[in-house]
Amino acid sequence: MAIISPVSAGLSSATVAPVATPTDSNLSTRSSGAEGFDTAISGALNSLNDQHLYADQLARDAATGNLQSIEDYMIAATEAQLSTQLTVAVRNKALEAFNEIMRMQV
Amino acid sequence: MAMGAMFSALGVAASGMSTYKVWLDAIADNVANVSTVRGMDENAYESKYVVAQSRPGSGHGVRGQIGRGTSVSRIVENDPEGILAYQPDHPLANEEGLVRLPNVDLGEQMTNMIIAQRAYQVNTSVFERARDSYLRALEIGK
Repeated sequence: MAIISPVSAGLSSATVAPVATPTDSNLSTRSSGAEGFDTAISGALNSLNDQHLYADQLARDAATGNLQSIEDYMIAATEAQLSTQLTVAVRNKALEAFNEIMRMQV
Repeated sequence: MAMGAMFSALGVAASGMSTYKVWLDAIADNVANVSTVRGMDENAYESKYVVAQSRPGSGHGVRGQIGRGTSVSRIVENDPEGILAYQPDHPLANEEGLVRLPNVDLGEQMTNMIIAQRAYQVNTSVFERARDSYLRALEIGK
């Protein structure tokens, strides 16, 4: 259940609440225990943003001639690219799971 | 950097690239100064040697990061005495006709240059392989 929370965060709580209520004890222990998916994904997005800012900074350094070593930029750019793809993959999977649950016949 | 631990092979390969680039810089400086002559009243050109050190990994066992690559710990300089040469016609020579030549062995420098260049290349290969592997992993389940 925790996995759909970031996707459902944009929706009204009324549509999500009936789905969440039936599993009482199991859900409460899970949501209070481990770190929520929404905090994890927002942390990952912040880290991703920092990486892009760093890569942009190095690109500016390269343009102005202040870049100390080429590999620094290449590594920052590659890491930012991989992180972006990973984040998009996680988002797609979460959305897929959410849609799967929404299609479920009750 | 939090993501740095995730794509650790990239950071490790990058540390190797940085270290061997410093070595190449040092070799370039040594080769450029191979015939820098100094007078007896000053130090000879001191050829530079790069000392690398490994960066230990964080975490424990296979769950943590195995190692964080390498870094330059310090630059060692050769003796300031240099090689004393008798060149009485040289403008920098003292009354005994002596000058200081740098203690740089060009053959050794060229050998080191090839090692440094190949080591840099192999680190770029590691970087590319790691990137391709991560990209392949991202294609799982697509």
